[in-house]
Amino acid sequence: MAETLLEVCELAVRFGPVQAVKWASFSLQSGQTLGIVGESGSGKSTLLWALTRLLPDAATLNSGEVWFDGEDLLRLQPARMRALRGTRISYVSQDPMTSLAPGLTIGRQMTDLLYREPWSKREKWQRAIDALDWVSLPDPAARMNMYPHELSGGQRQRVSIAMALMLGPDLVLADEPTTALDPTLEVEILELLQRLQRETGCAIIFVTHHLGVVASLCDEVLVMKSGEIREAGPVQNVFTEPQDDYTKALLRCDPAQIETPTRRLPTMSEALERPVQIVQGPLERIGPEDAPVLRVEDLSVTFTRSGLLPPVLGGWREEIPAVRNVSFDIRSGETLALIGESGSGKTTVARSIMGLVRPDSGRINLNGSELTGADAAGWSRAREQVAMMFQDPAGSLSPRATIAEQVVEPLIVHGRRGEATRARAIELLTQAGLGEAYADRFPHELSGGQARRAGVARALALSPSLVVADEPTAGLDVSVQGEVVNLLNALQEQMGLSILLITHNMSVVRHAADRMIVMLKGELVETGPTARLFAGAGHGYTRSLIAASYHALPDQQQTPNQERKLHAVE
Amino acid sequence: MLGYIFRRTCLGVAVLILAVSSLYVLVQLAPGDPASAMLGPRATPAIKAEFAERLGLDRPMPVQIVKYLGAVAHGDLGTDLRSRLPVREVLLAHLPHTVQLVAAAMLLAAGLGIPLGCLAAVKRNGVFDRLIGVLSVSVIAVPSVIIAIYGMLLFSARLGWLPAIGAGEGGVWSALHHLIMPAVAVGIGWVGYLARLVRASMIEVLSANYIRNARSFGLTEPRIIRTYALRVAVAPTITVLGVGVGYMLGSAVFAEIVFARPGIGKLMYDAVILRNYPVTLGAVLASSALLIAATTAADILNAIIDPRFKEGQEQ
Repeated sequence: MAETLLEVCELAVRFGPVQAVKWASFSLQSGQTLGIVGESGSGKSTLLWALTRLLPDAATLNSGEVWFDGEDLLRLQPARMRALRGTRISYVSQDPMTSLAPGLTIGRQMTDLLYREPWSKREKWQRAIDALDWVSLPDPAARMNMYPHELSGGQRQRVSIAMALMLGPDLVLADEPTTALDPTLEVEILELLQRLQRETGCAIIFVTHHLGVVASLCDEVLVMKSGEIREAGPVQNVFTEPQDDYTKALLRCDPAQIETPTRRLPTMSEALERPVQIVQGPLERIGPEDAPVLRVEDLSVTFTRSGLLPPVLGGWREEIPAVRNVSFDIRSGETLALIGESGSGKTTVARSIMGLVRPDSGRINLNGSELTGADAAGWSRAREQVAMMFQDPAGSLSPRATIAEQVVEPLIVHGRRGEATRARAIELLTQAGLGEAYADRFPHELSGGQARRAGVARALALSPSLVVADEPTAGLDVSVQGEVVNLLNALQEQMGLSILLITHNMSVVRHAADRMIVMLKGELVETGPTARLFAGAGHGYTRSLIAASYHALPDQQQTPNQERKLHAVE
Repeated sequence: MLGYIFRRTCLGVAVLILAVSSLYVLVQLAPGDPASAMLGPRATPAIKAEFAERLGLDRPMPVQIVKYLGAVAHGDLGTDLRSRLPVREVLLAHLPHTVQLVAAAMLLAAGLGIPLGCLAAVKRNGVFDRLIGVLSVSVIAVPSVIIAIYGMLLFSARLGWLPAIGAGEGGVWSALHHLIMPAVAVGIGWVGYLARLVRASMIEVLSANYIRNARSFGLTEPRIIRTYALRVAVAPTITVLGVGVGYMLGSAVFAEIVFARPGIGKLMYDAVILRNYPVTLGAVLASSALLIAATTAADILNAIIDPRFKEGQEQ
């Protein structure tokens, strides 16, 4: 029987007037994995960082005890606390892009961490190389002299993990370690963590909003909602027989768990007893005879980077092909999903359609008019017909103007000031599911889901025929995700919109898209109806993406004690 | 990195050529001509024409510029119209005083401003932070001329601790003794400015993810602040200091006049008054070169501290 490693009693954290964590109590056995799930803002990360007192200054610890190995971490002397950090308790944080210091080499940062060890400089360097090798980072000795910005996101996360585990801690606290990564990378990193845990026997607390990750990786789970622990217990029990209504709703809302594609995803606000409504799946909804709204032929885009000086004076010039010979079309009333890992050129395709990037060759035809070679007036007309929903909804709204003002701004830009009335703004907000009450608010007064809705309302202002939605569900928890997908689907049915859905959330694709196109390294590798590709994709990359999106829940696995396996990626 | 340094230096030289050419034009456009100034009101037009021809002032402007640049490339800056000495020698005699002054002012600004800003950021909203804030704004607000004059009244005239004028005669101690007041006059405002700047960027950096990560690995606080935070936070300061050399050269003119320091600033001032073209141009050339060297050095230093800087700039 394993012994108790960590015991948290009545922990409470306050951020100004907001009680972020409300009297949380739980315990963790050594060598076990605990998952903490909950929507964004539920206090799960705050709880995690509070354990070793690494909260920002704005947060105050009200009360509680954190017992680790016979000591209360919240009342330790700072020096004693520091001695535990890195050696016995360490963290892997969310965003690999910002978790390593920018101006120091990987080797410097890794050897700095060993400052307490009695080894020589040379030995520290060698141990750091070994640690990088251990996390399967290719060519570790050369990476030691590189700076973080020279590594990809996945590689940096490997470095972070190596740093967290190289001193053999008993407890690793992972704060959404895969959220910022592509689905295929996510699987690789999770597999790595599993392997390292087997090899070191450390306990892990895993904060995530990905239910599948918890199901396939954790022994125990805590479900958090507005700072409270709503349900706790072994993953098996919680996922198969949830007791709390919130847990039930959360599980119900996970689109990966709904077998048949449906255009109405369940949301939190619905009654729990209602069965999941299957609304006419996207299969065969659009016939090939429907006229294309957008036709892209042989699109190629190359980016040129060059130095300040011409090459003869020691300057440099580099050509990066971003998109090569991509052709596709979107029919009226159709949702086309554009899928690919970061850097595969999908955003460049979207930017070419909006006229924000000049293609080298190829043709873009919108509603019968040719856009390549169009003049400014032609592009202006085109932009009235294509609306963009930006990836970061809060960041793409101005913090200084009310929602109503911003929603009708496209009308003003296109010289239709007369139509840019408050009444029109309220009409658009109502269409997007935000009432009049939101018209005079400022963006910071909206939640993530509400900001997305404001983005939808703004996209609809010019009554476009095509909406380009760039990662509309990124960073949202499953329930809000469902709301956004439902909204887009409903608007499509009402207004006959065509939607270009750029995403790597394959669960959303399965429920919302009629057809999908898959890009890899700037080229189109696969295209076809969503249902057909999910039934059996031709390209290995598509298969691995689809496999990565299914995380089996415990009840769907044959034997609970069998080693849990994630879907491998070729 | 060597390639980057080479490219920055090329760019610096290009900027210098452009600066000198445009200054050449500006000096010629300024009212008054050297012939009248040098030869006095009673000079006949024939004598003036001969004087202009001797200096090459009758040729078309582009030809004059190319000729001047060519001569500069060979180290020939012309002849001082008054002392008849080569301008190069005149400059070399004055330059060290200005370089010392600006360097001392920069040392003062960086040596006090960066640690104070750092301290203010670490002890944010504490008594130290408030005090440093008030002092910073005060020293920024007072013009350096005022500080120079009151400093002279207090420390030279009344207390007699510091010499009022000159740059010292021989000996390092004498030079340093004479340097204190001008350097404080030129640099004290920058102490406040840098303290504010470093405080703001330190606060931003200290809330970064990688700082929390470094803490989570148990690194000690002094190490985190020195190598993880300050290293990044100091980058905007280096850029500002590079440009700041230009402003300091400007304040150095006043300081050198007030303290009668025989530096480039004073030389330039006297030369402009006397329409002493070769010296004016030479002095401007020297101070432009100083400024360009400083900004180039700042860029290179930034690229060494944070390798992302180089890429950001060349994109």
